[in-house]
Amino acid sequence: MKCEREELPVQIESIFERRRFVFLDGGMGTQLQQRGLQPGQKPELAALEMPEILTAIHADYAAAGADLLLANTFGANARKLAGTGYSVAQVVEASLACARRGAASTGALVGLDIGPLGELLAPAGTLPFTDAYAAFAEIVEAGVAAGADFVFLETMTDLYELKAAILAAKEHSHLPVFVSMSFESRGRTFTGCTVESYGVTAAGLGADAIGINCSLGPAEILPFAQRLCRTVPAGIPVFVKPNAGLPNPDGSYNLDAAEFAREMQAYATIGVSMVGGCCGTTPEYIARLRAVFGALAPAQKVPVRRSCLCTPVRFVEVDGITVVGERINPTGKKRLQQALREGDSAYPCTQAVAQAEAGAQVLDVNAGLPGIDEAATLERLVTDLQAVTDLPLELDSSNPEALSRALRVYNGKPIVNSVNGEQKTLDTILPLCKKYGAAVVGLTMDEQGIPTSAEGRFAIAQKIVAAATAAGIPKEDIYIDCLTLTASAQQEGAVQTLEALRRCKQELGVRTILGVSNISFGLPCRGYLNTTFLTMAMAAGLDLAIMNPNTPEMMAAVRAYRVLTAQDPQSRDYVAAYADVQIQTQQVSKTAVVESPSAAAGDALFEAVRRGLKAEAHEAARQALSTREPLDVVNASLIPALDVVGDGFEKGTIFLPQLLQAATAAQAAFEVVKEKIAAQGQPQTAGKGKIVVATVKGDVHDIGKNIVRVILENYGYDVLDLGRDVPPERVVEAVRTTGARLVGLSALMTTTVPNMKATIDALHQAKLPCQVWVGGAVLTPGFAKEIGADFYCKDAKASADLAKQILG
Amino acid sequence: MVRPIPPKIDRATSLRYMGAAGWQPDAASAALLDRAEEKLRQTATPRAVWRRLPRVVLPLENRGGDLARHLQGCDEVLVLVATLGSEVDTLLRRLELTDIALAASADAMASVLLEQVCDELEQELRTGLAEEHRYLTGRFAPGYGDCPLELNDEISLAADSVRGAGVAVTAQHLLVPRKSTTALLGIADHPVTGTLAGCSTCHLRETCVFRKRGTTCFSQK
Repeated sequence: MKCEREELPVQIESIFERRRFVFLDGGMGTQLQQRGLQPGQKPELAALEMPEILTAIHADYAAAGADLLLANTFGANARKLAGTGYSVAQVVEASLACARRGAASTGALVGLDIGPLGELLAPAGTLPFTDAYAAFAEIVEAGVAAGADFVFLETMTDLYELKAAILAAKEHSHLPVFVSMSFESRGRTFTGCTVESYGVTAAGLGADAIGINCSLGPAEILPFAQRLCRTVPAGIPVFVKPNAGLPNPDGSYNLDAAEFAREMQAYATIGVSMVGGCCGTTPEYIARLRAVFGALAPAQKVPVRRSCLCTPVRFVEVDGITVVGERINPTGKKRLQQALREGDSAYPCTQAVAQAEAGAQVLDVNAGLPGIDEAATLERLVTDLQAVTDLPLELDSSNPEALSRALRVYNGKPIVNSVNGEQKTLDTILPLCKKYGAAVVGLTMDEQGIPTSAEGRFAIAQKIVAAATAAGIPKEDIYIDCLTLTASAQQEGAVQTLEALRRCKQELGVRTILGVSNISFGLPCRGYLNTTFLTMAMAAGLDLAIMNPNTPEMMAAVRAYRVLTAQDPQSRDYVAAYADVQIQTQQVSKTAVVESPSAAAGDALFEAVRRGLKAEAHEAARQALSTREPLDVVNASLIPALDVVGDGFEKGTIFLPQLLQAATAAQAAFEVVKEKIAAQGQPQTAGKGKIVVATVKGDVHDIGKNIVRVILENYGYDVLDLGRDVPPERVVEAVRTTGARLVGLSALMTTTVPNMKATIDALHQAKLPCQVWVGGAVLTPGFAKEIGADFYCKDAKASADLAKQILG
Repeated sequence: MVRPIPPKIDRATSLRYMGAAGWQPDAASAALLDRAEEKLRQTATPRAVWRRLPRVVLPLENRGGDLARHLQGCDEVLVLVATLGSEVDTLLRRLELTDIALAASADAMASVLLEQVCDELEQELRTGLAEEHRYLTGRFAPGYGDCPLELNDEISLAADSVRGAGVAVTAQHLLVPRKSTTALLGIADHPVTGTLAGCSTCHLRETCVFRKRGTTCFSQK
């Protein structure tokens, strides 16, 4: 395993050849502190305030044997430099110059080091993805101008921020990009990102070397580095830069240079090919590493090739039948159509959460609706959905612009649905999948339509696989859809679909996907056909089933299949799902007279809501609607129950948990009412008028606003909830498009109340005929008046009373 | 640094945060709180970072009378940042969509849990300081009384909270993840308690429900 040490100076290309271990440098911040940086002094400015010391640190690392030196640009971003009097370009140039001087004696390469921006991206924080991208792009451009040899993104804990940084580095330079995240001892970053999600996402986005740094010592990082080596594809080196052990109470670290080098020895055999140190390590540590690893050749990295999709916290390996929820697709769904037109994110988000709870593992997202801007809508849907669900998304569109925008803001590794055999879609969409590291669905159809035979579809699949492979997409990321045809129209088609599926899987070695429910279109009792077809497809080797996970019998087929194919050890999931379930199936004639429900159904609903019983309210509403008109159910049962509870709350005999349980029960009842109204083909509203609510820009606290929304919806108002951190323009736009006469704004903190005033001013300037009420902890009636609001409401009940007064 | 989750989230305080002080919850509400607590326990990863600094290192002058009173007689300060983690934020957002009662309960209990995590840590630090005959005040946070929220920026920086606990400050000086807190504690060579901000400088004094009932938010239970 010995190899000759190459002659210096190193060439950047040779760094990636893995013929010998490559040495990174060690801690910078701790070195600066040891050599005179004072508390309160900004380490970012060392190149300008203490250049000799900084240069000496670099030179010591070079002399110790580091091949790659990181310039002291970790925090050289506009936000951290604000108020220092220096620009990003100045600091980057000066810092790289110090590193270059330090490298002079050995010819070590010099990298632009970039750390986190220090602000959290939305939805966790309020920093928009595009702003983060711009901040990174500014640093990268400065680094290129200053002559950096490579870009080094490190100590990242948020995969989304890392993505913005990788894109900025790739799109604003041609330099190799090293990326590194920091993990806690639980094997996740602060934001919950797993090692695997990190590895596949970074590799997919084109990172040239992928590693782990900071937070922990060599022994603690070792298992994560092993997982990373299994995850990162062949050809991309893996590196580690651990701390000098764990921190002592006094801020020092518990491993000396010899102990550090000893713990690091374990890395020689796991596939890691670059080593260095982070906080607490010094040139001596690097010299020791050099002594240990200098004579060794890195062990071969053996990555596991697997089909996977992910978000930061959820890594889904597609190995066996995997359920893709189909409900976020406006085709034939009036409520979703309305929500997409109005920009209402709450409804699709609710659908996402419900599908996840029902057992979906991936969610299909489609925004193709005539008359709306598909690209903008899909982008917003992706942003909104990933704030509430950790399931990976299937971006369902054939519009390159929509896909490009959605892929850009997606956090993790998604799947694109779809390309087909037409050369044009292959040429436009495959490069997008490659650029953003997405898996892709290929439909077995082309300019001539869908071949009737399995043979014809297989031929198109071959073409797609060849094109995807040529575009640089690995086989495990290709999913072929042999297309479900409607059995009522083409009964012979089902067998052809399954035959094509079987051949694709066996002969092409790719994954397969099918939209299952299409099989039954136009026939009665569709569930029977769907379930049977799904079962046949699973037996033929189906990997991804696009279906409605809220259909119990289809989920049952999936879970049963997993038991029968030994994919559910000890039938654990099956038992968990059904141990407490009793099956009741009953086939009833649609034309027979329905027995009239008990006369007390209306009262049952009133009681269920009053007592806050969700399931009972849902059932009681269903019963009541079989004999009564929806509006009667709302006005005679639902609202009186809410009034009783609301009055009790006001009097202090009923408490918030009870009020909200009643609200939740009423919500469950309202879902049934809305479905009924939609089925009757009437406009999608209980008809009491529109209200727009929002938590103003800059504010992230929105539980109060959400309570208000639920209560107003309970009273039958059509509430458009714009969410939190909402800019004034968006409120104005929403009021304009919906014609809402009442607008509710909330802010919790003193620092965000000015944005509340700005929003009210914007509404006034737009001369929209609406009235504004405000609420939130720091507001008072007097203050509300001062900022131009029409009303102040102290809580949700008062808001409902106000709505009644204004809108009736 | 990851901190342990206390064995029990204090119910009485949780109810108080929901405006139901002293209320004996009915069976359904008690079950609701049980579910909220279970979900929080599964999701929260409490973390805290703290740093002990000479008082003069931080720009604490002209930050209002309340803070000055709190730190009276102290020559050192302890800056502390604690959080339940961003996964709790996601949990709360999800619950707000599907079950507002559960969401509001989990939201209140998360605040209580965070306080309990801080209480435990404060006790440990107090004990540690006692060994060197130094004394610690209680916790004081920007936003109390007349102390500006802007101070969150400096505390976060001084404690290195982004790197140490994943807590950042927004442009409006709010903390993210949402269930996070900063605190300043004074350290002195003689016993100190610090002072609570009191109502006179509180932003909520006009609408405060506790004051209407003749009590305060900081009086016990």
